[in-house]
Amino acid sequence: MLQARWFDGHSTRARPVIVRLIPAGSGPGLRLHALDDGQILELSHQQVQWPERWSHKHRPSRVVVDLRERGSLQIDDVAAWHSLLAAAGRRTPLAERMQTQLRVLLMVLAIAGTCIWAFYRWGTPWAAAHIARHVPLAWELALSQRAMEEIDASLVKPSKLEPARQAELRAGFARLAELARNDAGLQRYRGYAPALELEFRSGMPANAFALPGGTIVMTDAMVEKARSSSEADTALLGVLAHEIGHVQHRHTTRMVVEQGVLNIGLGLALGDVSSLVSFSSSLLTGLAYRRNHETEADCYAVAMMRRAGLPTKPMTDLLLSIEHGAADESTDESTQQARRGGFSWLSTHPDTAERARQLCPK
Amino acid sequence: MSMPGIEQSIEAHPIEFTGSGGEYFRVWIVNVLLTIITLGIYTPWARRRKAQYFYSHTHVAGSPLEFVAQQRKMVMGFLLMAALYLAYQIAAETGQDVASGLLMFGFAILSPFLWASAMRFRLSATRWRGVRLAFTASWKEVYGASWPVFAIAAIWGIVFYTARSLSPRPPAGVAPAEPAMALPSLGAASISLAVLGVVLTVLCVIRLEYNYRRLLVLRARVGDQAGRWKPVYMDFVRIWLATAGFLLLSVLVAGLVFMLLSGGSLALLRPSKDAGPGGMIVFILFVMLGLFLAIVLATLPARAYREARIFKLVWNNVGVSHMARFKTHLRTGPFVWLRVKNVLLTLLTLGFYRPFAVASEYAAKVGSVKVYLKGGADQIQGVLVKQQGAFGDAAADAMGLDLIG
Repeated sequence: MLQARWFDGHSTRARPVIVRLIPAGSGPGLRLHALDDGQILELSHQQVQWPERWSHKHRPSRVVVDLRERGSLQIDDVAAWHSLLAAAGRRTPLAERMQTQLRVLLMVLAIAGTCIWAFYRWGTPWAAAHIARHVPLAWELALSQRAMEEIDASLVKPSKLEPARQAELRAGFARLAELARNDAGLQRYRGYAPALELEFRSGMPANAFALPGGTIVMTDAMVEKARSSSEADTALLGVLAHEIGHVQHRHTTRMVVEQGVLNIGLGLALGDVSSLVSFSSSLLTGLAYRRNHETEADCYAVAMMRRAGLPTKPMTDLLLSIEHGAADESTDESTQQARRGGFSWLSTHPDTAERARQLCPK
Repeated sequence: MSMPGIEQSIEAHPIEFTGSGGEYFRVWIVNVLLTIITLGIYTPWARRRKAQYFYSHTHVAGSPLEFVAQQRKMVMGFLLMAALYLAYQIAAETGQDVASGLLMFGFAILSPFLWASAMRFRLSATRWRGVRLAFTASWKEVYGASWPVFAIAAIWGIVFYTARSLSPRPPAGVAPAEPAMALPSLGAASISLAVLGVVLTVLCVIRLEYNYRRLLVLRARVGDQAGRWKPVYMDFVRIWLATAGFLLLSVLVAGLVFMLLSGGSLALLRPSKDAGPGGMIVFILFVMLGLFLAIVLATLPARAYREARIFKLVWNNVGVSHMARFKTHLRTGPFVWLRVKNVLLTLLTLGFYRPFAVASEYAAKVGSVKVYLKGGADQIQGVLVKQQGAFGDAAADAMGLDLIG
């Protein structure tokens, strides 16, 4: 038992009381005996907000116990209060144990590290795949239409490719689209069957990209680049298979969801550290996911080409030659450096050379 | 005081902060870890722990403050806020402009309401010697105090309308006779109009700050005692003017230092031409981040200066009815330096110095205040204060209006 001051909520006047802790199954209760008028107040464990201990060594000069609507209990002899609590067998909550015991803190630190890793490795991709399942194709089509209008207005010009060549490539593309539609092994989302279309545009370097919902754009420069190859069509079809992989995996939709999940999750978890840390980690993680998408599309391309009975070697050679062409044009020492190291880690597309080397072995 | 028979002595009591940066670091790291493990759900518990740490180490006239908000209400407020935020994010990301615009507009219209309900929550969650504080402003008073927000909208409406009616509109088919002569005067007119708009806007912003602080103090109650408020609008304007001067000076100094330090090293930052679209995006992001950081750092001393001056003005001129007056001996210069040091160390440690920064600034502010009590600390009567919902508080927190600080 110990002497304390009770502020009963009726005024700021202190009432001298004797405090006792009564051990009980669910945790100790509190019993106050007012010395001024002899009033006795008994409170169960749940009726009291037990103040947290903030430090193992340093003891505050005063502690206030929150008695809810019955006011507050101010204790000036904190050492006696702590020994009273220990004697009554109060269970300490996890946060308080982390606060006062280094061992517990380090254990939780390890768990938190594991959580972050699991969140990155499985949590977000899983959530993205499941949410993407519920996104309607119509939304993807509306997004693509808007994106295509913007690209046409600012980045590209109409294709200058002769119509015969376009028709040739479209015919090959139609075969791949047929495969994607009918072969169950090439479907990634059950019941997801977008209409695949091939478009040609000029005014950009050798490139091809997929819009969500099935439109795939290839630049004239890409077709020109393949012309030197003996198996130009096979090489280009390999590239198109890769882009069909993006469509079938619904990578754009997943990216939108993943970035959203990351922004919110990391913002909440790390926001109190600093917005700089949470912003840059969500940015870098998003880029890492995009690199995974590229690998997935590569694997898809390999599987598709095998089913179509076509080799992937010409595509690999084409990608390598584009990579070399770009490297030859840059003479600056520092940019060469950046290509080899820094930017390949930061940019969304993995190094094309490395990608070609890694093409899924199966 | 001078009335015979009821002579009451005035006693000075310090307000002390008995916590420390190291101890708060532990509180903070525990919060961060538990928040990570629970994927953010721990946030309302973390906020309560933080508030309880600071409150319980703040001793006013020998008795600690208490933070007595109900955890359940804080969790509900947090969940509601998180759901709304998620809805907004989804609407914005999926291009549903109408829905996201409506949510945004709703928040703008509701912001005075949210501010007031946050203050209601925070004051009613504060207890001293068993007696709760309360914020008793009515919604009419809150929206009345918010008139500068609507005035700003009106000012810019008028500015744009007048600018358009001033601009030259030659009749169709007729070429303007002397465009070279006509343009400068019109340009000058529009520019002076815009400047006028900016000046009026700044005056409105100051008025808003003044109104809100005044309302907060006047409608605050400690038990049955109401708050007292002395500052006038011009006091605030003077501080803002001084801040503008201070900003000019600090930007000039920062600019000079930057020029001396950076010299030619900017050339190193040029992007490589063929780094690809990904590399380009990353580079642009870095530049934007750098620019943002530069603006934050350049205005940092001025913002700290204003904060310290306003703190001094307010805490030297408020009280609780006739029984309490406050005085602060916070010194502006050392506070500005403390803030600069804290921000630099926080940046250098990627944010891990933040708990030390928060604790040291809180200690500097709170520790500088003395309360002068007339007739002792025993005389306040408690009044029943309704428990408040915590949604406004969660929203205010999400917008950066922190509980502590």
